[in-house]
Amino acid sequence: MRSQDKIRNFSIIAHIDHGKSTLADRLLEQCQAVSQREMEEQLLDNMDLERERGITIKARAVRMEYKADDGETYHINLIDTPGHVDFNYEVSRSLAACEGALLVVDAAQGIEAQTLGNTYLAIDAGLEVLPVVNKIDLPAADPQRVKQEIEDIIGVPAMDAPEISAKMGINIHDVMEDIVANVPAPSGDENKPLRALIFDSQYDPYKGVIVYMRLIDGHIKAGMKVKMMATGAEFQVIECGYLHPLGLSPQDALYAGEVGYFTASIKKVSDTRVGDTVTEVDNPTSEPLAGYRPAQPMVYCGIYTEDGSKYPDLRDALEKLQLNDAALSFEPESSVALGFGFRCGFLGMLHMEIIQERLEREFDLDLVTTLPSVIYEIVKTDGTVIYCDNPHDYPDPAQIAEAREPFVKASIITPQEFVGNIMPMCQERRSIFKDMVYLDSTLVELHYEMPTNEIIYDFFDALKARTKGYASLDYELSDYRKSELVKVDMLLNGDQVDALSFIAHKDMAYTRARRICEKLKDNIPRQLFEVPIQAAIGGKVIARETVKAMRKDVLAKCYGGDITRKKKLLEKQKEGKKKMRSLGTVQVPTEAFLAVLKLDDE
Amino acid sequence: MNKLGLYIHIPFCASKCSYCDFYSFAANDNQIDEYVKALIKSINYWSEKCRQYIVDTVYFGGGTPSFIGGQRLVKIIETIYNSFNIEPNPEITVECNPDSINEDLLLNLKKVNVNRLSIGVQAMQDNILKSLSRRHTALQAKQAVKLAKKYGFYNISLDLMYALPNQNIDMVLDSLNQMLELEPTHLSCYALKVEDGTPLAKQNPILPDEDIAADMYNAICKTLKDNGFEHYEISNWAKNGYYSKHNSRYWDLSEYLGIGSSAHSLFNGQRFEYSANINDFISGVKAIKEEQVDGFDKAEEFIMLALRTSKGINSFEYEQKFNKSFRPFTQALKKYISYGLVENKDNIWTLTETGFIVSNAILSDVLSSVE
Repeated sequence: MRSQDKIRNFSIIAHIDHGKSTLADRLLEQCQAVSQREMEEQLLDNMDLERERGITIKARAVRMEYKADDGETYHINLIDTPGHVDFNYEVSRSLAACEGALLVVDAAQGIEAQTLGNTYLAIDAGLEVLPVVNKIDLPAADPQRVKQEIEDIIGVPAMDAPEISAKMGINIHDVMEDIVANVPAPSGDENKPLRALIFDSQYDPYKGVIVYMRLIDGHIKAGMKVKMMATGAEFQVIECGYLHPLGLSPQDALYAGEVGYFTASIKKVSDTRVGDTVTEVDNPTSEPLAGYRPAQPMVYCGIYTEDGSKYPDLRDALEKLQLNDAALSFEPESSVALGFGFRCGFLGMLHMEIIQERLEREFDLDLVTTLPSVIYEIVKTDGTVIYCDNPHDYPDPAQIAEAREPFVKASIITPQEFVGNIMPMCQERRSIFKDMVYLDSTLVELHYEMPTNEIIYDFFDALKARTKGYASLDYELSDYRKSELVKVDMLLNGDQVDALSFIAHKDMAYTRARRICEKLKDNIPRQLFEVPIQAAIGGKVIARETVKAMRKDVLAKCYGGDITRKKKLLEKQKEGKKKMRSLGTVQVPTEAFLAVLKLDDE
Repeated sequence: MNKLGLYIHIPFCASKCSYCDFYSFAANDNQIDEYVKALIKSINYWSEKCRQYIVDTVYFGGGTPSFIGGQRLVKIIETIYNSFNIEPNPEITVECNPDSINEDLLLNLKKVNVNRLSIGVQAMQDNILKSLSRRHTALQAKQAVKLAKKYGFYNISLDLMYALPNQNIDMVLDSLNQMLELEPTHLSCYALKVEDGTPLAKQNPILPDEDIAADMYNAICKTLKDNGFEHYEISNWAKNGYYSKHNSRYWDLSEYLGIGSSAHSLFNGQRFEYSANINDFISGVKAIKEEQVDGFDKAEEFIMLALRTSKGINSFEYEQKFNKSFRPFTQALKKYISYGLVENKDNIWTLTETGFIVSNAILSDVLSSVE
């Protein structure tokens, strides 16, 4: 039997700007896994968007060889984790693939609440948490105080933690030795049937889906027939190997305890769900690994192209993104106002924004999106139950016996001083307070039951704003509850605009409707006639604004018989008109839709 | 014989006004003489091609035609008399600025039967005139108009600008009333349009908003109506039928020949223009086809121009002229009747005064409704 005691699998937990990527680069250097010249700055984050937003969207992993002070060579796998509440499940699976985690703490600022969520996930997953005190080069660095803080708050020994500066390359060696000494070696059984945990996957146009996995038991090799236990999909392995920092490194076989990849001409990442267990078809395990959860969209919205003729491009782009993102779902829909588009489902608002941004950036599409919505459960008077994520499909109130909205169980970890800011904010959002637990003398955890509808739009941003970024949020879908829901229709000059309808709790409907009216008023240019903007529930108008009629526009002279200026001006005006959507009699610029969507940004 | 209007462009000014983006500049005597020489040569050249035409309007525009002085203008006009077929009593207009109107100029113009002056007064508040870098005061403007009258010029058009920075409606009406005291036969009132690249644009001025500008226009309309002026084109008013015959050509697609740098022509069914560079003109570079703007054919030009006037569009005339149905436009225009922007009587379609100042929006809608 092969020895696993030279393998170490770990993750890095760090606050966004505490230098996770820089530390990863330094560790790679220690192993001489990549030469300085080859090293693209911060290898682990290789999507542009990730770099700009300073967040890691998709997990990646690298394998390093490290010659330790004891003279032995160790195989060390670093598994990266995403850092946002929308991707908590992905984080938990990445952590489940490790035996240890480095907790990077800023030597000046100390422990930040945002890292606590992931730290607790790591502790829950049974990982050895190794604190590292970073940025000791800063003048305000106080490593002793910070170590004490780590022990007080998290309860892990920290006094021997390495004191480093990832930026300056100080004491990086200590971190490697710490990993070797304190991250437990894997303890799976190579002779048992194959069990591998999928923690990520990525579509490659030549190889098909590359599945990133951690082998718990057994082995995997080319030619083996494997099965994804949750999805039931079966494939024949074409290639397997290690994840070298600069690319794939094919091997004959991978064994229990190792981290690597396999390919099998898999067409869609949706066949290889994160958290699923890979086993051998001919010698299957009876026990899949615990913790699998199918990706579940929580937020839906309509996505359209500004230029209606780009619809096929949008479809192609979504299909390409879906190859790499099993959590993204979409199906065609059409709107009177916006033409043909897609109803898309997302894990959360950040996920939605990332997809929109990638569509615009990588596929050069100009998008118009509709207001996001959660999935409502409607019991109709005839007893049937329908699920509705689109205001367009919302039944007539007369046909509704009971309307239900989804709730989440939310937990907020925050320094105690911000509790007074958070509570009213939750109350405004119809949340039910459950309890408050003191984690230590300063840090508290609040538990709420919240309508999903209230959490998806702006809650996370508002929370960060009111806690100086110190609070962390975690939530999971709990149940559907009876709710007094209404569908609000928006009317322009008397004509209903389907793309602007929304479903809301009746207590929230008026405020929201009024703000949408105001936004539209500010973003619809004056037309040749007065345009009433109305929000209505059923036939009853609940909010109204008016765009005044245009009174004067720019008039070009025809001086000296030169009518080209006039023609150009008219042509410009006609061009401008083409960028508008004709909604009934009213010309509405795309910005108006965007403004309505950004309602919660202020 | 076909009627023809002649437009002569004088691209010179004593200095540039801050809002102006027309082709004009301050030049020295030598350049001006060169240019006049080229004009005379060009007039002779064109007259050969215009044997079938009889000229009934001549218009000197600029720039500032009065700036080059009476003697040069006389030389040009005499050349025109000597080379073209001229109708008896043609309308001959010369644009003047108050600061270049003097006895010598007026005597000279009178000598060659110039019978219409268009004077750029613009405003009657000295601070406003100064902010536009005009070279005259309100008083000078008044004295200039009075002097012209003294020398027998009765058909006088004055220019007024509104929607200027720091201008309110009372100032507009004050300017207008002071102009009316001078008893002009014709007024042109233009809203300021800040053109890219002008000194004014660089100042990033705060302009009266849309509603105030519209109120200004309405007040001008009312005042001029009360004073017996006829609102015959978006920006033009005339008393007792003193329409600008020359400018009317532009709006009813009659033929005109433009000579000089940057001058435009509609001649023999073609639109063409001279380059906006006096050296080109002096060295004999010919006029070229006018810059084409997509989406405009003759029929669309007709609609665009005819709707500027109180005469409006005669749909029968349109159908005959272009051999196309007017019906698609009828549909587009009709919806504006109830908003008070368009009027229709039998086969005549016109914009109302409220419609005039939003005519771009109406036109772009009407013209794109048939694309």
